[in-house]
Amino acid sequence: MSVAQYAADNAKRGPETAPISPYLRWLTNWGPALPLIIIGIVMLVVPCALMIRQSFALPDGSGFTLANWVSLFESRSARTTILNSLLLSFSVATIALLVGGPLTWIISRMTRNWQALNLGLLTVANNFSGIGLAFGYVAALGSYGMITLALKMIGIDIIPPASSSFWGLTIAYEYGIVPMFVLLTLPSMALIRNEWWEACQCCGANRWQFWRYVGIPVLGPFLGASWILCFTWSMGLYGLPVALLGSSRPAFNLITLKMSRSMTGLLLGNQQMPVLAVLLMIIAICALTLYKIMLKRAGKWL
Amino acid sequence: MAVNSMASVSPKPHNIGISRLFPGSMPVFLMLLMVAAYIILPMLATFLYSVSTRWTTHIVPDGYTLSHWFDGFADNRFRGALLRSLCLALVVALGEIILVVPAVYWQKVHNPGIKNILQLLAAIPLAIPILVIAFGLLQLSGDYMPAAQGTIGLVLIAQIAIAFPFVYWAIDNAMSSARVEHLAEAARTCGASELKTLWHVILPNIGPGIATGTLMAFGTSFNEVPLTQFLIGSRFETVQLYLLNMLRSSDADYNILAVMTIINFAVTLVLSVCVVWLNAGNFAKRKG
Repeated sequence: MSVAQYAADNAKRGPETAPISPYLRWLTNWGPALPLIIIGIVMLVVPCALMIRQSFALPDGSGFTLANWVSLFESRSARTTILNSLLLSFSVATIALLVGGPLTWIISRMTRNWQALNLGLLTVANNFSGIGLAFGYVAALGSYGMITLALKMIGIDIIPPASSSFWGLTIAYEYGIVPMFVLLTLPSMALIRNEWWEACQCCGANRWQFWRYVGIPVLGPFLGASWILCFTWSMGLYGLPVALLGSSRPAFNLITLKMSRSMTGLLLGNQQMPVLAVLLMIIAICALTLYKIMLKRAGKWL
Repeated sequence: MAVNSMASVSPKPHNIGISRLFPGSMPVFLMLLMVAAYIILPMLATFLYSVSTRWTTHIVPDGYTLSHWFDGFADNRFRGALLRSLCLALVVALGEIILVVPAVYWQKVHNPGIKNILQLLAAIPLAIPILVIAFGLLQLSGDYMPAAQGTIGLVLIAQIAIAFPFVYWAIDNAMSSARVEHLAEAARTCGASELKTLWHVILPNIGPGIATGTLMAFGTSFNEVPLTQFLIGSRFETVQLYLLNMLRSSDADYNILAVMTIINFAVTLVLSVCVVWLNAGNFAKRKG
């Protein structure tokens, strides 16, 4: 303990220094952080715990049963829904990797000002990927959207995928997810050193070989980790799909939409909703664990 | 508001000319152009929609007018949604600062054990979909806190809980780089109380961190959907719910919908630009 701290503590306690009760000591240790911790536990931990409990409860909320889980996986529509969500997130994250990877590389090698401009643009896109975007999407790519009309004018009669189809949703998701991928991956791009490319050239390697044997192996775990986060994030998206697909029976169902519909009572008993919620939680926790493992592996190069 | 904080941690890359590892710079230029178009075109289309008289078959509208903007602001429902969203986001941002600053200060100066709990709590809203938390809260308030069910207070506190990671990181970073432990010790030596230290010494030193945190909390609240929709619903129509309800109703005025979308976009744009600018400023200061 430093002298100053000692003096301060003494000054605080006063001359008679009564022994502090353990409760008071505990309160002094935690006091100012308590409101935040309590809010965090009540608003974040307890709801998750309740969902887990509900997924094993009988319809009246008591007891313990696996029936909810069994009935979910026996239902064909539920299986399709889960598969849809997984497929959509998989394709969204993969496209984000294919587009975002090279894009991140380009941005990482820009001058400071260009980099700031591009990052600003991407941050805006990343933050705007909600319900507002759904309208922007329809205004640009809908059947009377600006881009659709422009394509028609120059003689290309292509109607972009409908906003309620698989590919329509994928395009809309990418608006927020590609920027997210770039912002997540950008720091790792600084690992690739100029000297490595020079060394490769000395050994007679071409550009492709450099990326195949040096660049991708070094960046791989970082790219993979970002892929995982994008995958998980798109699994849990709610605002954008509900705005694009609507709440009436869509042709294309997703876990989050099914949950919200079971809540408004249009479909199923409420018993399947907690199971879907827990399923999303399990996927998220697995993905985060995997993310940590990958970053640890990636870290050995640092 | 997912990964704003990441933008600030990009270290200076070793400067390899792009063309040296990429086949020529033309494809690079084209790619950047396409990305920019991809991001900007939907916004442009929405903006044109909000100022067009009629828009049927041409690339650009048939004529321009500001009447949709006037109509929007003349409409009670429109003004109400905008006002509610702005107020809610403002209160969330302020509440966030009031709760997080003392907690992180105490963690840094008195009890490092707080850190583990705060970090764990901060991981939840990012990992678990907010929709799951919203349903859990609905259940919780229904079963154990019937007085809180369907109240704006519950939405407010829930939004504080989900926006907290961004504020936590921003303030934690700011306090680390300001070395608040040393500041606090110096202040104590001079006989300042904890409150005085916090107000006169710590706060002025972590300004940019507080600003970043406030902006991100504001943005999170402003763009939040599931908590508001399921905890309070149409009794408290925010901008996002307004957009959602209009988009789904059959007799919506799409031009006014475009006006609200542009306002939503403008708020997000201003917040994002400020955050990027604040982070860039910090970064330059640290480098210099």
